Amino acid sequence: MTLQSESDFSPKTGELAVSVQHLGLTYTTTIDRRPTLKARVRSLGRGAKFTRVVRALDDVNLDVPYGSVLGIVGANGAGKSTMMRAISGILPPSQGRIEVYGKVSTLLALGVGFNPSLSGRENVLLGGLAGGMTRKEIAAHFEEIADFAELGDAIEAPMRTYSSGMFARLGFSVAVTVRPDILLIDEALSTGDAHFKEKSLNKIKELRGDNRALIMVSHGLGTIREVCNEVAWLHKGQLIQRGEPNAIVDAYEKFLHVGKSAAINEDI
Amino acid sequence: MNKTAPVEVYEPFKAGLPPLKRYWRMLWKRRSFITEYARSELHEKHFDTVFGQVWLIINPLLLSGVYFLLIVIIAGNSDKMRYAHLTACLFLYYFVNHSMSGGAKSVIKGGKLILNTAFPRIMLPMSAWVIALIRFLPTMIVFFFIRSILGLPWGWNMLWGIPVAMITGTFALGLSILISCANVYFRDIGSFLPYFARTWLYLSPILYEVKNLKPKLRSFELLNPLYSMMDAWSRAIVHNQVPHLESLLKGAAWALGTLLVGTYFFLTRERDFAVRV
Ligand SMILES: Nc1ncnc2c1ncn2[C@@H]1O[C@H](COP(=O)(O)OP(=O)(O)OP(=O)(O)O)[C@@H](O)[C@H]1O
Ligand SMILES: [Mg+2]
Repeated sequence: MTLQSESDFSPKTGELAVSVQHLGLTYTTTIDRRPTLKARVRSLGRGAKFTRVVRALDDVNLDVPYGSVLGIVGANGAGKSTMMRAISGILPPSQGRIEVYGKVSTLLALGVGFNPSLSGRENVLLGGLAGGMTRKEIAAHFEEIADFAELGDAIEAPMRTYSSGMFARLGFSVAVTVRPDILLIDEALSTGDAHFKEKSLNKIKELRGDNRALIMVSHGLGTIREVCNEVAWLHKGQLIQRGEPNAIVDAYEKFLHVGKSAAINEDI
Repeated sequence: MNKTAPVEVYEPFKAGLPPLKRYWRMLWKRRSFITEYARSELHEKHFDTVFGQVWLIINPLLLSGVYFLLIVIIAGNSDKMRYAHLTACLFLYYFVNHSMSGGAKSVIKGGKLILNTAFPRIMLPMSAWVIALIRFLPTMIVFFFIRSILGLPWGWNMLWGIPVAMITGTFALGLSILISCANVYFRDIGSFLPYFARTWLYLSPILYEVKNLKPKLRSFELLNPLYSMMDAWSRAIVHNQVPHLESLLKGAAWALGTLLVGTYFFLTRERDFAVRV
């Protein structure tokens, strides 16, 4: 979770917010074991490689202007979260370039609550400090965050006692309360109940009216159809299609049901 | 479309240092994160409860008692100077040891934070160092208490302990940063570390004093950074003497060297951490 202080940057509708150019990103993982000194010494003689490279994104191009909501859809492991991490500066690209015109706040799946033995309040404080806010700024926003999340006394309880919906509520509240220029939302809406879903949808619409840029990853295709101006479809790290929400979501749904589509000639 | 320059540009990770001025600004802006994170870790280990704090005092006392017994048994006899030396040096050694072991885990432990937040990663080993420092400070109170019970003379030369502690602190910070980075690539460093630390304890003038060493052995100690630090430390705060200038300079050189090398490795590798943890 990156919280960032409010900026004095005042974007205009239509101006570029994020530009992703030929983005490629690879993770380096170990094949079966953890990378250890022992393993490396052993592999010295044989010259064996003990890392595996996972290509999570491949030549993705995207432009997101201010005042728009871009939805990202795709199967599990398509690289959606990876792209959000790259845009927020957490993962450096392996190829290509990302330009960001404004302050980014992210709402990644597990951002708030990285330390489950701490209370919601302490996690918000730590997340905010890590994201570069001052204690004062966090304190000023805290009431609003707690109110929006409607967690009641649970905000003081350790986050390991939270349900996944409560988790998501807190994360979403933090992200929208600090009012970034560019808001990245990853899957936060899928676990909220109907009441919170509606509340957060309204919030997103409100933010859209405010001339911000939103990038939203969700498996809730209904939500995507409702709030997005544009949808991008990722599959196995590649951008398959982007365009008008209904058209893209229809194509994606068809692909999900049929298992194959004209755009992709491989198994899911 | 846009005439303004981008606020941020992310490009492929190249080996080399990030822009240092910008990095420093980001770090400085988030400085309260370091202490807050340390505080939350201490809270997790219950060091903020009454019993936790009592343990922080009792634990080093017990340790020094055990080692003293060991010396009495092995050497047959021992005096109070020896006990004061042992306690002072043991406590300082544990400061270094704790920042090493805490640093080793710090980056891996912060994996979730690393994957979800953009911030200078060096704050993680720094905060492990702060934890070691917080654990070290009460042991100093214990030491001065022991020292007055033993009736050792006090004096102004003891103030030399402050620069020595600062040198050792810098060294400990450098080690914490260096090891945290190495641990991302070699995950078993954490399990080697206790053996290494134990050996280092025996090889440093902690359980014995420099003057007890044969001159031949002393030349080997050139390779041991803790040697000059422990000698200077003991001279200052135990014996109330001015430490040798040579010890101070050697210690400072080791400390700065370790910090520079550690920071260099860390900063050149840290953008790689998120795809590896
Ligand atoms: N930390 C990591 N280390 C190694 N590989 C990873 C890591 N995180 C993700 N991957 C790989 O990168 C690919 C893309 O993952 P990503 O998390 O971006 O998917 P996603 O689109 O967000 O999926 P989901 O819908 O399940 O959230 C996957 O193949 C995954 O195995
Ligand atoms: Mg995801």
